Amino acid sequence: MGQVKSPVSRAAGGTPVALDIRGVSKHFGGTKALSEVSMRVRKGKVHALLGGNGSGKSTLIKVLAGVFPADSGTFSIATREYDSGQYSSSDAQASGLRFVHQDLGLFDDMSIEENFALDAGYPTGIGSKIRWKQLYNRVRDLLIAYEIDADPKTKIRSLRPSDRTMVAIARALQDQDADDLILVLDEPTSTLANHESSLLLEKVRRRADLGQTVILVSHRLQEVLSVAHDFTVFRDGEVAGTLIDAAPSEDELIELMAGRTIGALKPSGGVSHQASEEILRIHDLYSGPLKGINLAVNRGEIVGIAGLVGSGRSSLIKSIFGVLRPRQGSILFRGQPFEPSGVHQAMTAGVGLVPEDRGREAGFADLSVRDNLALGQLRENWVRGFMPRSRESSIARALIERFKVRVSGPEALFSSMSGGNQQKVILARWLQRSPTLLLLDEPTQGVDVMSRADIYAAIRVSVENGSAVIVASSDMSELHALCDRVVVVRNGQITDELDSSRIDIDLLNRLVLKDAS
Amino acid sequence: MTATKVAQDSSGSLRRRSNFSVVSILENYALVLLLALVFVFFTVNPQSSSTFPTLANLNVILGSQAVVSLVALAALFPIVAGYFDFSLGAIAATAQVASAGLMASAHAPLWVAVLVPIIGGGLIGVVNGALVSRLQMPPFVTTLGVAILLAGLIQWFTNGQSIVAGINPAIMQFGSSRLLGLPTVVFVVLAVAVAAWYFFTHTPYGRSLYAIGSNASSAKLVGIRVDRNVWTSFIISGVIAGGAGVMQLSRQGSATAGDGNSLLFAALAAVFLGATAIKPGFFNVVGTIVGAIFVSISVSGLTLSGASGWASPVFNGLALLVAVGLSTYLGRRKRRS
Ligand SMILES: Nc1ncnc2c1ncn2[C@@H]1O[C@H](COP(=O)(O)OP(=O)(O)OP(=O)(O)O)[C@@H](O)[C@H]1O
Ligand SMILES: [Mg+2]
Repeated sequence: MGQVKSPVSRAAGGTPVALDIRGVSKHFGGTKALSEVSMRVRKGKVHALLGGNGSGKSTLIKVLAGVFPADSGTFSIATREYDSGQYSSSDAQASGLRFVHQDLGLFDDMSIEENFALDAGYPTGIGSKIRWKQLYNRVRDLLIAYEIDADPKTKIRSLRPSDRTMVAIARALQDQDADDLILVLDEPTSTLANHESSLLLEKVRRRADLGQTVILVSHRLQEVLSVAHDFTVFRDGEVAGTLIDAAPSEDELIELMAGRTIGALKPSGGVSHQASEEILRIHDLYSGPLKGINLAVNRGEIVGIAGLVGSGRSSLIKSIFGVLRPRQGSILFRGQPFEPSGVHQAMTAGVGLVPEDRGREAGFADLSVRDNLALGQLRENWVRGFMPRSRESSIARALIERFKVRVSGPEALFSSMSGGNQQKVILARWLQRSPTLLLLDEPTQGVDVMSRADIYAAIRVSVENGSAVIVASSDMSELHALCDRVVVVRNGQITDELDSSRIDIDLLNRLVLKDAS
Repeated sequence: MTATKVAQDSSGSLRRRSNFSVVSILENYALVLLLALVFVFFTVNPQSSSTFPTLANLNVILGSQAVVSLVALAALFPIVAGYFDFSLGAIAATAQVASAGLMASAHAPLWVAVLVPIIGGGLIGVVNGALVSRLQMPPFVTTLGVAILLAGLIQWFTNGQSIVAGINPAIMQFGSSRLLGLPTVVFVVLAVAVAAWYFFTHTPYGRSLYAIGSNASSAKLVGIRVDRNVWTSFIISGVIAGGAGVMQLSRQGSATAGDGNSLLFAALAAVFLGATAIKPGFFNVVGTIVGAIFVSISVSGLTLSGASGWASPVFNGLALLVAVGLSTYLGRRKRRS
């Protein structure tokens, strides 16, 4: 149907409009997730969709994907008109929308070509015999077109992170002439390291220069600014601003998102903690990919760990938390040898962990926010043989308030919250315990700029009250804003250490990448 | 674990609502309402109106419901954690035969004949739990294997014959005795149910089973000892199922060489029906008891209306399908709204 290119509406500047959304509203129970939202996506442009946590970005994308219908509104996609009432996921497919979600949906242990074939079907010959040669050639051409430097027989697992996302993108666009398709990316970079995400976005931008239409959701404003042509900014389910062919500053965008001016994230660290009590000392630790780690952390200190995916950051954190059993070396916790036989012992000793993968390792999707908070405190909530719900609810309400979680109440389901708000609940779960040592693995993934500042402040407060914090992050600006000291982990070893006066985003990026292949 | 997840594993689950709208109240109590309707139906239905609403029959219903409820409560423990114990019916049957055998062949004193089968049920639970949580064997097939094995042992022990003679009359007296006008066994179920309710809502351990059922990896990382707790859930479940077997003996006064499957299926129907009520989407104690009474009343009414032996398995099967279907449907609908 793509060939009938008659009455296409045109935006300012004469570029044809690929997708025109008009007056879309959607509510969940009492929450209005979208009200009268309109948005115009120009063909062949990268359109950034921005907004705070829970502002309705993912909801709009799910409406477009036909996951659920909107309450009202219309959209035209290329030459077709749809009423939101009669629009289904097959319409989304037929009209050329293609979605790549954060969980890429690739089969890690299969080759690239198999992943392509599982999506579009295997080319077959006589007697349904698979034509491997034909598949191979087709996938090879696609990989070249999408600048993925790999053989079609490569396993997904062995690809670098940005290439995995590219493979998912290429796979989503494989069945048609990509120029007629609209590619929708919901937070594609939130788990990627800085250089990986810039690699990815450069490729996306080059695709757009060749005529690809892209809708991009991201909380990393720097990268968005470097790649997007147009911007739509949501605030509380409404369009707060539309910028076409613009080059706004980061502060302007933040102001649109927040509805007020907000200072940029400033480094909060800088105090020396040499004199205070030593909370943790790791000596010559071998565990997972780690090869001889030495590290000491003092009370009142926030220590950052910078490193690539696979460098051993998460293994270090998990070894301290009793999830991984070290092969060799020792850990001293407050001066005592520390060999937790499991997470519960580490927790009793006063250690807490916010894991990297929120969906798989932290959240209880089908339980309530109250349950999600209380499950970190089961023993503590057991008073005189009972666990009164009213008590848990009031604790939950206080935490919701303190961490500015956008949710209808403690009984709302965890899965009904937006991604960033889920992350805040997980952080609240651990900060309520006032742990002596708090381990954070990518603590603000998917969290908007405004809340990020709140979260950093909350971490600062707990540190001032006597905790020590270790933060692993692939976001160098996070380490820059939060840490008193940063160590760089490369190939399982600590290769550099920077105190606050030397923490610099570019330097960190360079150190992390040094002699990495 | 939520109802839909056991039934359908990957699909989402039912949503709990915080607002007490008319719809949500109706939803929470739909099963109770249905129970009342079924009761009224068999009371006025000319085929059963003379026999169904009599005091004698109600006592029969309550008494037979007791054993089903007990097995259902037993099944609840692993199911909440997302595991499925297929051997519970067989454990109950084994306990029944063992208790009868101890009295008839070994002339064991009453307390031995009661305690040994219950402890034995717990021991089978220890094995089930070890295989599933320690060796990570798939729960469904593993417990199915245990069930088949136990059924075989029952055949070997009884030679396919019922054990009728030599049963201590005291245990039969207990089974038919009354307290406050109700069968005494009902109070045993009530006690177990209250204990289970307390356990699931007011102990860290019970709450942790729901967490494991929701997401085992997350549960581990909030300090829940997943393997140990799952294992224990199988042990508790085995103990209660052993008790159910002894109770069955006290009610029937004899032990048949059965495999206990009909008991298990009725119990599962009760558990799944229970997950559509009271706390929709979550397996829960009160719902399970309502489900068990519902199943018993319906089966009794059908039988008294002239339906024969096939009525109860057909009904249990249908009830199970409807319960699972309903929870899946509710889950999908709520996820969209
Ligand atoms: N299935 C649902 N049930 C109830 N409320 C929902 C559901 N999905 C989303 N919401 C609510 O709708 C609002 C918008 O959520 P949405 O996920 O679209 O935010 P978002 O802009 O994508 O945020 P984030 O940046 O955190 O991902 C939130 O208040 C959220 O709680
Ligand atoms: Mg989102």
